Amino acid sequence: MASPVLVAKDYKPEVPSDWCPGCGDFGVLTALFQACADLQIQPHDLLVVSGIGCSSNLPGFIRSYGVHSIHGRALPFATGSKLANGAMTVVVTGGDGDGYGIGLNHFIQAMRRNINVTYIVMNNEIYGLTTGQVSPTSEPGMKTKTTPLGNLEGMLNPLALALASGCGYIARGFSGQPKHLVQLYKDGIQHPGFALIDVFSPCVTFNKHNSYTWFRERVYKLEEEDHEVGNFHAAMDKALEWGDRIPIGLVYRNPKPPPPLDVTDPALTGEPLVHQSYEIDGDTRRELIQEFA
Amino acid sequence: MTTAAQPTDVWEHELLLTGCQAVSHAVKLADVDVIAAYPIRPYTEVMDQLSQLIADGELDAEYIIADSEHSQFEIVKHASSVGARAFGGSSGTGWMYGMEALAVTATDRLPPLFLVGNRALDDPGAFGVEHNDAMSVRDLGWLICWASTAQEALEHVFIGYRVAEDKRVRMPMALAMDGGFLTHAQHMVKVPTLEAVKQFLPPYDLGDRVLHPDNPISVAPQVNEDWVMELRRQNWEAARRARGVIKEAYKEFNGVFGSHGSQYDNPYFTEYMTEDADAVLIGIGAVCMPTQTAARRLREKGHKVGYVNLRWFRPFPTEELRACLGRFKGVGVIDRDFSQGSPDNGGILLQDVRSCLYPLRGDGPNVINFMGGLGGRDISIDECIDMYERTLAAGRGNVPEEIVSWIGLRE
Repeated sequence: MASPVLVAKDYKPEVPSDWCPGCGDFGVLTALFQACADLQIQPHDLLVVSGIGCSSNLPGFIRSYGVHSIHGRALPFATGSKLANGAMTVVVTGGDGDGYGIGLNHFIQAMRRNINVTYIVMNNEIYGLTTGQVSPTSEPGMKTKTTPLGNLEGMLNPLALALASGCGYIARGFSGQPKHLVQLYKDGIQHPGFALIDVFSPCVTFNKHNSYTWFRERVYKLEEEDHEVGNFHAAMDKALEWGDRIPIGLVYRNPKPPPPLDVTDPALTGEPLVHQSYEIDGDTRRELIQEFA
Repeated sequence: MTTAAQPTDVWEHELLLTGCQAVSHAVKLADVDVIAAYPIRPYTEVMDQLSQLIADGELDAEYIIADSEHSQFEIVKHASSVGARAFGGSSGTGWMYGMEALAVTATDRLPPLFLVGNRALDDPGAFGVEHNDAMSVRDLGWLICWASTAQEALEHVFIGYRVAEDKRVRMPMALAMDGGFLTHAQHMVKVPTLEAVKQFLPPYDLGDRVLHPDNPISVAPQVNEDWVMELRRQNWEAARRARGVIKEAYKEFNGVFGSHGSQYDNPYFTEYMTEDADAVLIGIGAVCMPTQTAARRLREKGHKVGYVNLRWFRPFPTEELRACLGRFKGVGVIDRDFSQGSPDNGGILLQDVRSCLYPLRGDGPNVINFMGGLGGRDISIDECIDMYERTLAAGRGNVPEEIVSWIGLRE
C-alpha cells in the first residue's frame, strides 16, 4: 500500500514553539516542514538533533524523532545516530553560539569525517537564550550586554571554515526568504555527505543590529549571479564577501563529492547497523576462535 | 536602583541589589584583575554587570568572554597562576562542563573565586536551583560556601578571596548562591567603602609560586607515582589548615565591619531559635527563609524547634556542627540535591551530617532526611512546618523505617 502523500502541516506537532514573536527561527522551521514534505521523508525516518539555545529547541517543534542534546554536542550525537542507523535522514539544528562557539571543534571534525548529515545553523549573531551576550559571529564593534563599548574581537566565518574543512555542500539562507531556504535544505539533505546551511535568523529581542531590514538591504541571491558553485576558489571569494552586499544561496557544491563515512566504513556497508543481525554462523565463530587461539 | 544615604567610614551606601549585582559590586571592590566569562543563567547577570562596570570606568580589569566554560575556567586558573586576582563563575551543567579545569585548579593550589549560581543539572532542561553543581567539587580540594542573602554574597567575595589566597590555604573558592531565589531577587545591600575592603583583604601574593619570567618555574609536571601521594597530602593539609584560617578571617571581618552591621558569631553556620530546641532542621541556601518563618510560627504555639543554616560545606565544620547538633533530640536534614544510590538513598548533606554525628552514637540525635525543592520547586512554609513536626516526632523516638521523605512531590 502506498503511503499517503505528506504535506508540510504533517510535520507540525501540537506543541507550540516557545520562540519570541517575530523570531527568525519560525521561517527556518516552516521551510524545514516544506522541504521534508517535498522530499516525502516519513516522520519516522527523520531524526532532528540539536544542542542548547533558543534555536536548539527546534526538535520539539517538528513531528519526527527529536533529541535536544547538550550544549555544542549536537553533531557528536548525530554522528552516533547516523553510524547506528544510516537509513535515517539526520538533520542537525542549532545556533551560532552552540555550533560556532562551544561546539566548534565538532563542527570541523564532522566536516572532516564527512558524516552524512545536514546541519542547519540559525545564525543570529548573538546569544539569545542567555539574553544578549556577544557571540563568535557578532560583528566587530557590535554593542551587546557583554560588549557595552563594542565587540573587540573578530567574526568567525562559517562558510570559509567549512570550505577549508572539506565540506562538500555549503549554503547560506535568510529566514526572511523561506521559499529560497526550502531549496537549499532539499539539496543539502540530498547531498551525499555533510551539508551546511547557515541561515541568517534575526533575534528581534536581543540583537537590535542585525535586524530583518539590515539583512534585506544587504543579501543577494547567488543563483541570480554568474557564480560557479563547483569552483572552490570562487566559493571562497563569496564566503569572504561581507559588507554592503552579502551573498545567500548555494556557495559551494563539490562536483566530485567523496563518499560519506557511512558508505566508506566497511562495518557500515550494506544494511544499517541497527538492522544487521547480532547472530554469527558456526563457521564464522570457529574461524574467529582459530584466529585468536 | 534606589539609594538610601547611610554614610559611615565602613559602609559607602545601601542599594537595592539582586544577588548577582551584589557580587559584581564586591568583585569591583576586591579589585579583581582578570575576569573570564561565559553565559549560562542564572550566573549570567554577574558577567553582564561586570562588563558594564568596566565600560563605565568603575572597574579596571581584563575581561574576556570565552568560547565555553572549559576555556573560561582555564583562563581564570592561569590568570591566577601569574599573580592576578581572578574571577569566574557558572551554573549547572556549565560548571560540570568545565570540570577538568576545576579539578586542576584545586590540585595546582590556585585561589581564584568562582560564583556558582546554583542550577539543576539538565536533562531535562531546568533553570531552577539544585545544589549538585557546586557540590560536585566537594572532594577535589575546593572551598565551598553558600550565601543565603545578597549581603552575605557580597561579603563572602571578600572573605572568600582572603581565605583562598592565604598562603596557608591557596585553594580555589566556590561561592554558591541559590539560582533565582537569591541570584535574581532584590535585597537591600550595604556596600562597603574601598578603604574598608582594603583593610580587610590584602593584595594577592602567590609568593615563590608565581609564574613570571623572573621566577622560572614549571606548573603541573608529570610526576606519576613518585610524588602524587605527597601532593595529595599537601592538599589535605591545606584543607585542614583552612578551618583555622576561616575562623581568623571572620574574626577580622567582624573587627572591620561588625561594629556597623554585619556580625558573624560562627563562621560556618547560623543558628536560629535553636536555644532549648528539641528538634532542628538543617539546610543550605535560601530555604532558610521559609524554615525560619515556620520555626517562628511553631515557637508561638510552644513547639521547641529551630533552624541551622549551613554556610560552609567544604571544609565541613565537623566538630562545630557535632557540638551544635548533638544538643538536640531530632535533626531533619533538608537536601536540595540528590545522591542517587547513596546510603539510605538520601541527599549529599544527609551523608555528611550523619558521618559527622557518628561518634556520638546513641547519645546523638535521631536524624531524618527531606529531599525537596529540586529543579527550583518552591519549599513552602507549610511544608517546613510539616518537616519540623516529623523531626520532632523522630526526636521523640518515632523514627520512620524509611528515613528519607520527598517534600512537595506530586504522586
